[in-house]
Amino acid sequence: MRARVIAGGVVTSAAVLVIGWQLGGQPAVTAQSGAATGSTSGSSSSSGTGSSSSGTGSSSSDSGSSSSDSGSSSSAGSGTSSSVSGTFAGAATQTQFGPVQVQIVVADGKITDVTALQLTDRDGRSEQISQQAAPILRQEALQAQSAKIQAVSGATYTSEGYTTSLQSAIDKAGL
Amino acid sequence: MSVTTFETMGTVVSVRGAATATVSAVRAVFAGYDRRYSLYDPASVLSRIAAGSLRLADSPDEVRAVYALALEWRDRTGGAFTPHRPDGVIDLSGVVKALAIRAAGAALDAAVAPGDSGDASWMLNAGGDVLVRGRHGADPWSVGIVDPDQRDVVVGVVQLDDRRAVATSGTAERGEHVWRRSAPTFRQATVIADDIVTADVLATAVVAGDEDDLRRITGDGTVDVLAFGVDGRVWATPGATGLVRAGSPSPAA
Repeated sequence: MRARVIAGGVVTSAAVLVIGWQLGGQPAVTAQSGAATGSTSGSSSSSGTGSSSSGTGSSSSDSGSSSSDSGSSSSAGSGTSSSVSGTFAGAATQTQFGPVQVQIVVADGKITDVTALQLTDRDGRSEQISQQAAPILRQEALQAQSAKIQAVSGATYTSEGYTTSLQSAIDKAGL
Repeated sequence: MSVTTFETMGTVVSVRGAATATVSAVRAVFAGYDRRYSLYDPASVLSRIAAGSLRLADSPDEVRAVYALALEWRDRTGGAFTPHRPDGVIDLSGVVKALAIRAAGAALDAAVAPGDSGDASWMLNAGGDVLVRGRHGADPWSVGIVDPDQRDVVVGVVQLDDRRAVATSGTAERGEHVWRRSAPTFRQATVIADDIVTADVLATAVVAGDEDDLRRITGDGTVDVLAFGVDGRVWATPGATGLVRAGSPSPAA
């Protein structure tokens, strides 16, 4: 469809291609009202998930060899993972912007949406106020890949950073 | 699928496809490497060498073997990868995590019952460095590569069909000890290889090096690389080109 991957396919050496894909050139932030949440959002209006797991704070990663809990899904624990569906939120952690957690929506073992939730602590209780921070998984990447992944590889996360990472949400989903 | 996580080496390890007892063995492997090589632990062998209280020549054979391995990789990467910090301290972090992953993989293999070694499957992810065996059900194990700008955005998926290891190095990471020789050319590099040590070391070397280093590293065609330049360009070996399919004219089946 878009030709930008190929457009810059200049062979600069025998083994390496330059893909003319400007990271900054494409709006990385797709409209939050996009289709991804809509199609699978049966369980994604998850203020309940958000507020319930935020209490665990950032301490969950030191808990030794703990099996991951299943988020709001009932099917994460056992058997083949292809049938996992549901909404899973990583633990909330304190950042300079306030508490943040990553939430994924899984349908039949595939990640269909990822959202960074920002929580605010008001009157002693956390609540979800915004999903705008980081709409994740570019729409076209989702279409191409269907995001059926069990691991994420990027710059190494710290043990603190893990709690809010995509990997943490995937682990909780048991993908 | 059951997933177990634990904290070690300043990051979190996720294990899939392992029994509880096996995960304990995996934990012990990481803890052992951390105890010997961590520069955050003043009692580690390497900290004592750095402090001058232990001579390298008097250190355990195993530690010197790891140092020798790191020097070998320094030569193979033309110095882009180095175990020497700018201040002269020997820092083996660049190989130790990968060696721990490899050893943990051996522990996972050892736990496989003799009868079903053919279809045993597991996945180890240590802070984004991934080693697998077998498959994830009917599918290959799949690893999402994240956008260097947004760590929750997946820009490509590596399917580990023939190869077993994926490692990513980037400027955003901490504790990974990338020492550049010049102004940075790449801010994130993912290497897909047959083994985790090669993948991890070369990912570090790409981020530490420049375009010439990347050409050298990919020249023999034994690894695939996806690298994000600081100028916004994305570099990929032919085998890795399909990983970033965003906007590809030929949609995936």
